[in-house]
Amino acid sequence: MKINFSLNGKGTELDVDPMSLALDVIRGLSLTGTKEGCGVGVCGACTIMVNGAPVSSCICLVGTLVDKDVWTIEGLAEKMPELIDSFVENEGMQCGICTPGQIVAAASIDSAGVSTSEEIRKYMAGNLCRCTGYQTIVSAVEDHLAVN
Amino acid sequence: MQSTETEFLVPTSVSEALESISKEDAIFLGGGTSTALLYKTRLIEPSRVVWLGNVGELKGIFASDGEVKIGSMTTAAEIAANRDIARLLPGVCTASGVIGNARVRAMATLGGALAHADPRQDMPPALIAVGAEVSVKSSLSTRRIPLAEFYEGFLETVLDPDELITEVTIPLVANRRSAYIRYTPTSEGDYPTVGAGSSVTFGSDGKIIEAASVVLCGVGSVPIISNQASQLLVGTTGDDAALRRAAEAVREIVEPQDDERGSAAYKREMASIFAFRSLKSCLGS
Ligand SMILES: Cc1cc2nc3c(=O)[nH]c(=O)nc-3n(C[C@H](O)[C@H](O)[C@H](O)COP(=O)(O)OP(=O)(O)OC[C@H]3O[C@@H](n4cnc5c(N)ncnc54)[C@H](O)[C@@H]3O)c2cc1C
Ligand code: FES
Ligand code: FES
Repeated sequence: MKINFSLNGKGTELDVDPMSLALDVIRGLSLTGTKEGCGVGVCGACTIMVNGAPVSSCICLVGTLVDKDVWTIEGLAEKMPELIDSFVENEGMQCGICTPGQIVAAASIDSAGVSTSEEIRKYMAGNLCRCTGYQTIVSAVEDHLAVN
Repeated sequence: MQSTETEFLVPTSVSEALESISKEDAIFLGGGTSTALLYKTRLIEPSRVVWLGNVGELKGIFASDGEVKIGSMTTAAEIAANRDIARLLPGVCTASGVIGNARVRAMATLGGALAHADPRQDMPPALIAVGAEVSVKSSLSTRRIPLAEFYEGFLETVLDPDELITEVTIPLVANRRSAYIRYTPTSEGDYPTVGAGSSVTFGSDGKIIEAASVVLCGVGSVPIISNQASQLLVGTTGDDAALRRAAEAVREIVEPQDDERGSAAYKREMASIFAFRSLKSCLGS
């Protein structure tokens, strides 16, 4: 089936099985910043942004992306360099496997109307990290929101 | 890899959606969060999927004097962020805001949250406690089912395969307070060990309870409704002793099973405690 949507700001037409997972389709386009962790919607390593909101690409059937505005870490890194800087300056990563997902989640935070430190923690709770202990990630997001 | 591709239809109206579902083993698709997991492991292999994402008439939250209507394609995130829901139905607001994580809430729809029928889900107890009814359409008929009578068993509802949930109606009742709380001993985004929805309606004097409802998830194959707890609350002022008697009644009626979220005995205890706390939070609100 032909699927039309916007990917990282560019109109895109793909001929794919609509029941394939957005994760596999995106990685198949050499956009390998989107990672697979748990594969069941829990860890957030595969987070993409769909119409401004965070979505687990591992449980997203690509047919449901028809006409949507989709961003991956590659597009967002170009569009929001200051967010990347904030993660770097706060050392909001160690091994890095969760980092693309953390950054895409942070980039989508406006969709959740989040502002206080407590709300940031609650919102980001869905993105697991086994290395940092979270504090540096939260600091990176807080810094980013303050400069925006 | 795939021998035959699943037909993926994108209707733009309810009537078109109902026509599209006619094929045997066709399914409706909302946000797809449950379906993707089932399909990924090939627990389901539908030959046709009717995705409802472009059916505009199924989206939105409408509050009027006597009731609130929520379209079946409204997402959990939209329900949780809606001001009318927060003001009029705090239990429903809480339940929609704790489902899974922000990514699940952005995709999961109300129709999917109800039709999936996992007995640990948060929305059913919160909605049953405030008397929600489900409007359902097929190409032949239309009916409205109290959510309290919607569940038949684990992943089973009274819906026929060609029936579409169009909206959910919640009556607004004067002097009613409602709440939902849940207990997740593992991680924040996990399914709850137990969740408790409740409502308490006072008479016109504002002192004596005229009606009450206590509904639990996670402790049976369907949401568990404690009529006895309701009866024990009616006619009281909602004092702690009355709440404790109601919570005792909950302990007797739940049917929990041992799993990684706790032993059956533990869940029975937690059901009683969280029923008490849910009622307490109703009365405090
Ligand atoms: C990681 C993760 C964590 C979760 N945690 C929680 C949690 O903490 N609490 C909780 O309550 N739930 C939780 N869930 C479950 C979640 O609530 C459901 O997956 C979600 O609500 C289903 O909605 P959907 O729109 O994505 O459904 P879909 O997958 O689109 O559909 C689910 C079912 O409903 C049917 N359906 C959908 N819409 C309609 C309609 N309008 N009419 C008739 N049938 C319809 C479909 O045919 C399918 O059978 C979690 C899920 C995931 C993946
Ligand atoms: S890989 Fe998608 S949420 Fe874990
Ligand atoms: S940096 Fe290693 S998991 Fe987060």
